[in-house]
Amino acid sequence: MKIRLNKSVAALATGALLLVGVPVVGLSSVSSAAAKPVYVIGYQGPLTGSAAQYGLNELGGLNLAINNANATGKLPFTLKVKSYDDQGDPTLAPAQAQAEVAIPNLVAVVGAAFSGATHASMPYWYNSHIAAITPSATAVTIATGKNNFFRMVFGDDVQGTTDANFLVKTKGAKTVTVISDGSFYGAGIAGVVSGAAKAAGATVTSDALPQTSSCSGGVASVSEFAAEATKIKTSKPDAVFYGGYACDFANLLPALKSAGYKGTVMSGDGSYDAVLLKTTTPKSAALGAYLSAANCGSTGNLTGTLAKQYKKLTGIEPAAALYDAQAYDAGNILVAALQKISLTGGVSAIRPAIISYLHSGSWSGVTGKIQFQANGNLVGTGKGNIAIYKVTGKKLPTAHSCY
Amino acid sequence: MNFPTIKKFSTQALTILLLSELAAVITGPPGSADAPWSGVQGSITQKTSFFGLFIVGRWIFFYAIGIACYVVALSLRKVNSKTSALKTFRSSYNSITDNKYFKPLALVAVAILAILLPTIISDPFWRQAMVSQIAVFILLALGLNVVVGFAGLLDLGFVAFYAVGAYATAWCTGALPMPPIFGSHINPFFTIPIAIGLAMVSGVILGIPTLRLRGDYLAIVTLGFGEIITLFANNLTGVTGGAQGTKQIPHFSLHLGPLKYIWGLDPAPYYYLVIGFVIFFIFIFFSLEHSRVGRAWTAIREDEVAAESLGINPLKYKVMAFAIGAASAGFAGVMTAAQSNYLTPATFTLYLSINILVLVIFGGMGSIFGVVFGAIVIQTITMYLIHSPPAGYQAQDLYIYIGALLVIMMIFRPAGLFPARRRHRADSDASRLEDSNV
Amino acid sequence: MRWGNPSAFSFQLGFRLPKKGHTLHGFLSYLHAHFHALRLEFWGLLIGGIGSGIIYAMVAIGYTMVYGVLRLINFAHSEIFMTGAFAGYFTLNYLIGDSSPSGITSILLIVVGILAGGLTGSFFAVVLERVAYRPLRIRKAPKIAYLISAIGASYFLLNIAAKEFGRIGRGITQPYENHTVFTIFGATVQMYNIIIFISAGIMLIIVDRLVNKTKLGRSIRSVAQDSETASLMGVDIDKTIAMTFVIGGFLGGAAGFLYAMNVGVLYSMGFTPALKAFTAAVLGGIGNLRGAVIGGLILGVTESFTVVFFSGAYTDVVAFAILVLVLMFRPTGILGELIGRSA
Repeated sequence: MKIRLNKSVAALATGALLLVGVPVVGLSSVSSAAAKPVYVIGYQGPLTGSAAQYGLNELGGLNLAINNANATGKLPFTLKVKSYDDQGDPTLAPAQAQAEVAIPNLVAVVGAAFSGATHASMPYWYNSHIAAITPSATAVTIATGKNNFFRMVFGDDVQGTTDANFLVKTKGAKTVTVISDGSFYGAGIAGVVSGAAKAAGATVTSDALPQTSSCSGGVASVSEFAAEATKIKTSKPDAVFYGGYACDFANLLPALKSAGYKGTVMSGDGSYDAVLLKTTTPKSAALGAYLSAANCGSTGNLTGTLAKQYKKLTGIEPAAALYDAQAYDAGNILVAALQKISLTGGVSAIRPAIISYLHSGSWSGVTGKIQFQANGNLVGTGKGNIAIYKVTGKKLPTAHSCY
Repeated sequence: MNFPTIKKFSTQALTILLLSELAAVITGPPGSADAPWSGVQGSITQKTSFFGLFIVGRWIFFYAIGIACYVVALSLRKVNSKTSALKTFRSSYNSITDNKYFKPLALVAVAILAILLPTIISDPFWRQAMVSQIAVFILLALGLNVVVGFAGLLDLGFVAFYAVGAYATAWCTGALPMPPIFGSHINPFFTIPIAIGLAMVSGVILGIPTLRLRGDYLAIVTLGFGEIITLFANNLTGVTGGAQGTKQIPHFSLHLGPLKYIWGLDPAPYYYLVIGFVIFFIFIFFSLEHSRVGRAWTAIREDEVAAESLGINPLKYKVMAFAIGAASAGFAGVMTAAQSNYLTPATFTLYLSINILVLVIFGGMGSIFGVVFGAIVIQTITMYLIHSPPAGYQAQDLYIYIGALLVIMMIFRPAGLFPARRRHRADSDASRLEDSNV
Repeated sequence: MRWGNPSAFSFQLGFRLPKKGHTLHGFLSYLHAHFHALRLEFWGLLIGGIGSGIIYAMVAIGYTMVYGVLRLINFAHSEIFMTGAFAGYFTLNYLIGDSSPSGITSILLIVVGILAGGLTGSFFAVVLERVAYRPLRIRKAPKIAYLISAIGASYFLLNIAAKEFGRIGRGITQPYENHTVFTIFGATVQMYNIIIFISAGIMLIIVDRLVNKTKLGRSIRSVAQDSETASLMGVDIDKTIAMTFVIGGFLGGAAGFLYAMNVGVLYSMGFTPALKAFTAAVLGGIGNLRGAVIGGLILGVTESFTVVFFSGAYTDVVAFAILVLVLMFRPTGILGELIGRSA
């Protein structure tokens, strides 16, 4: 069967199809301008590239909050969300930050999703007195000296210290092996845990084990997890802490089980995800593992009606590990801010007013009680704010103790 | 118009159907692993308006457009080969572009335009992207062009040199946990020669073991080298700050006696600095291309054994190619470090190496003009789609379009948009040789 | 605690550098401890490594065969791997649903999964060849055009999968219950290992027989050696090349399923295993089928050993170091190129 599509045909066909098809069959709808003033909340995060899932999930959470707020009809203004794709890259972030601050009616930014991008964008936001609430950037070093920075999650330093103390003091581990998956989050929390465990008096061995390609597009293969379990089997530490995500923790647990490791196994909030129990095979390998999460007394995720609305809006399920709940809460906080402050004086007065309001208020959201310190971190040393769960069945545990 | 036979007609109809449905799926709603067919289903069955006239299923809409395009293309094809107007247009176009003064003059025109650009463009996104996404990539493409285009060495790990330059800057300005060897911190401006030097050294290091390797073996080894550099950047936390990145890197500043200037948040001063260096590198690479070194590279590229028999030392010139290409990438690294004030290893991935290779080949491997043009075109399109996406376009589909574009371009114009003249002849000869499996 | 602290330097290295005051003794005792661990767990690590390596071998064969007949690095082979994995994922999830099969049902399910993965892989490989490579052959495009076209096809497939299947990793419902089957030399052999060894082993043997003993195999080898003469001898070049892609695609897709059975699926899962497989193919001598298998096994085992001896982060470094060393002393790979030419 010889199919001959020559130059012009193929080129024209493809080009025309896309050119015509795309705008005509457009998915977006332009809403008619309202008589109320329109304010824009910017979202900055990865919408393309390998980390796109974070950006898409968080954007969904923010959109949900703003859509619900607009739908009440009680606001004296209309809010719009404008998204800016930085691909999680600190080299692209400044360009997007510049674009954001140039929008005349932009009042605040939820973003950036990644710490590097947040770091790179901060100077531009600070210059324009724009409040930046990041739903997920956890690097400790961002919150230095700029009053417009706010963070919706506890830094990994809080969670990591709590986890280390749990292992060493509560569980009495004298030797701990800390494994990091080499990602931004994993290396961060693993570093904190090993430092804190050392400070608490344990002997710490640190190791690195990259993610597998099926989980987060990493480089390891599963046999490396088996080999790591073998290594642990020979060195026999009292406790093992894995700094990384659920998908790969689900590879480590069965490996440890078949290596016959009997000590305490723990991981951070990156592993607190339903994927963990779906993917661990056999399921029994996950029993007894401890998971920590950076909030206490709430599920930390969109559930029930909110989850349904989220699914309807975005087509994807909300996931705690993807920070959509944080973005949702951030959106609601900004709505509350805009309702409380005076809107006269134009955007240039609104922006700093939002910053002052954020420093003085406190709210209760899906992720728990939210209040910001002067440096933008959540209030509290995190003491009593970190929940530690133990896997006891086939579903993600909800019973927990707070440390 | 010719009326093809039933069989030919049905296969063509089928092909158009498949292509149009593919376009429908590409522009349609996404699916998910739990509902894998929802995306395809939605794309095919969703109702849409047929240019505002009536409502039909999407698949009919796309198929209709597909058929229309095909018919139009068929009739145009007839027109194409016959119309003399088109012929004269083509020949005059060729006579302009083949003129030996075209490229240098065009480059000068582009350079003047480039210098005036910050005054023309006021959109802050574009002002920033001009530097960090376009100018930097021009530098990277120029450097890779020396390695791949001039010397014919397939390098899949070019991002390593970029990373070395960037981290060298971070190191010298004290942004890394490991303090710089001379104790005190210096501002990034004076790190430029150091970073370029270190990048060139790493180019030499990569070049040496590659002497005995050809073609695809070289590709995999350079790829490995690129991966290893990224790996070390990610894991040597005590040296590079690890996955969490470096500390704050200061902006450029100049304190030379009475001359005091600090580059700040405004991208324009960075832009002028980069453009100055781009022109500088273009000038150097152009002179190299037409010097003894360039001729040696051409000889090695086309037939290494013959070149060696003529007394050209392949190792020396190959290593030179790596080092010189690395210099450009090293400087690009300095720019990135100083402008984003922060580095993470996650920026320097294998994907980036491949992206740079795509830029080089798209524009025309071995041609400085082509490579610059290719970098500008692809990066501008990418940034445009990120900044002002057209209605209905979904940002995460960017690489679907890029991938399709690459395949189509390679089918219809593999030599790149502006092929190097010499290269063009060499490639067609070489491919004929290879096909005969001699 | 991370910044400027010299002991932090060792954190991610996975081993301690001898500090001032520590003698060579410290370093030697480190080596001894790790050698001890290696020796103790040698067989376990070997078995795990072979399991991993066999999958690399299957994917490497795809690369090596296509290289043999087309002199082309089929960059998009990683996507073939991925499509096979997804095909297996959907098939098995549909068939198994909520039950937990065992016994004969398990075996049948695994066979079905392998077939689903393999056939999907073949399908996409053939489509790839038709759309991305054949037009280039017709137009006598320069070699680098094939590489870029492959990269483009890879981007295309990868991102369509991301769009249609989501960007979150998912696990396959297990068709069997993983448990220790027996112990040999102190190392446990899991059900998973046995499944991989047997199924991959069978497929590899079949392909080897196919290429070396059948008429099709002869056509493939002749096209790889000298395509002009082969066509003069009456070999249908287009059909042979298509069959090469079919075979390579089948193995790649089946390997994807076997890999995913243990780890799960994700749109970008193919990139790294395929890259490692390509390294394995080059290590063994590109164009050489048995070399690809040997390269794959060596790579898999090296990974396991490196995790214990150094750290999981450095497996790639060690793998590439081995590759460079082998290529420096034997530029055409371990078993050498079947065709025997330098590029």
